[in-house]
Amino acid sequence: MFTQGIAADIPETMTDDPEQFAELVREHQAMVFSMACRYLRNRALAEEIAQDVFLQLYRKLPTLESPDHVLHWLRWVTAHRLIDHSRQEKRRPQSPLEDAPEPAAPADSGDPLLSDILRDLVAALPENARVVMILRYQEDLDPMDIARALDMPIATVKSHLQRSLALLRDKLSRTKGVGI
Amino acid sequence: MNLDDELRAALRREEPSRGFAQRVVTRAQSSPATKAAIPIFQPVRLPRMMWAAAMAAMLVIGFAATSEYRQMKAERAAHEAVMALRIAANKLNMTRDKVLRLEN
Repeated sequence: MFTQGIAADIPETMTDDPEQFAELVREHQAMVFSMACRYLRNRALAEEIAQDVFLQLYRKLPTLESPDHVLHWLRWVTAHRLIDHSRQEKRRPQSPLEDAPEPAAPADSGDPLLSDILRDLVAALPENARVVMILRYQEDLDPMDIARALDMPIATVKSHLQRSLALLRDKLSRTKGVGI
Repeated sequence: MNLDDELRAALRREEPSRGFAQRVVTRAQSSPATKAAIPIFQPVRLPRMMWAAAMAAMLVIGFAATSEYRQMKAERAAHEAVMALRIAANKLNMTRDKVLRLEN
């Protein structure tokens, strides 16, 4: 959450004081970077996109009214920038999750490998479903908040979640030793 | 094993590399586009009387154009009506000739 000092200074002085803006970036950098990182599975690209989002925030700050507004704006812009990026970017294979190769069996190493498999599977989901899953499980937003953050009908959000979870369960159940 | 918990663990937040915020600030300060947004469309600064005159001129032009268009439409309609009457008269004459020929 925001510190009192930052919240009190939005929006008048934030763009005039580099240290205050840096503090605002530090406040939200993990959220923006992680969304990009989970979505793209590429740290360098994720960092580049996160930087672009914060530069956009720098220009937009005078029009944002509160810390909650900043948070909501950052989620919205990051999500849409990621979706736009992957739609424009034809380098990434656009195969649906059903066509994704079976993940390697996690053997007996436990959670770290399973987490890696899950990140791969989430990154293979279609664009909108991927963002919905990231907001649900990274940001811990409920479907109503996700719908608000993405300007998406709540029924669509729920459908993305159900379908994605069913696909993930199916993929995982087919791998050796994973029964979720 | 619970999929929700596993997903939360797998997708937990992660920090970017060190100095990320500072790099953003440096870019923000060095990028000329971020310093001041240059408005693409600036309202033309004209005295009020000039605006009023321009509006009046536009209204007169609009009225004249509308009148001209209406007159053109009326003339065309009249021309088409005369043409239709001529065609009808020709057909009536032809029919009358046929009837006369049959009677003879």
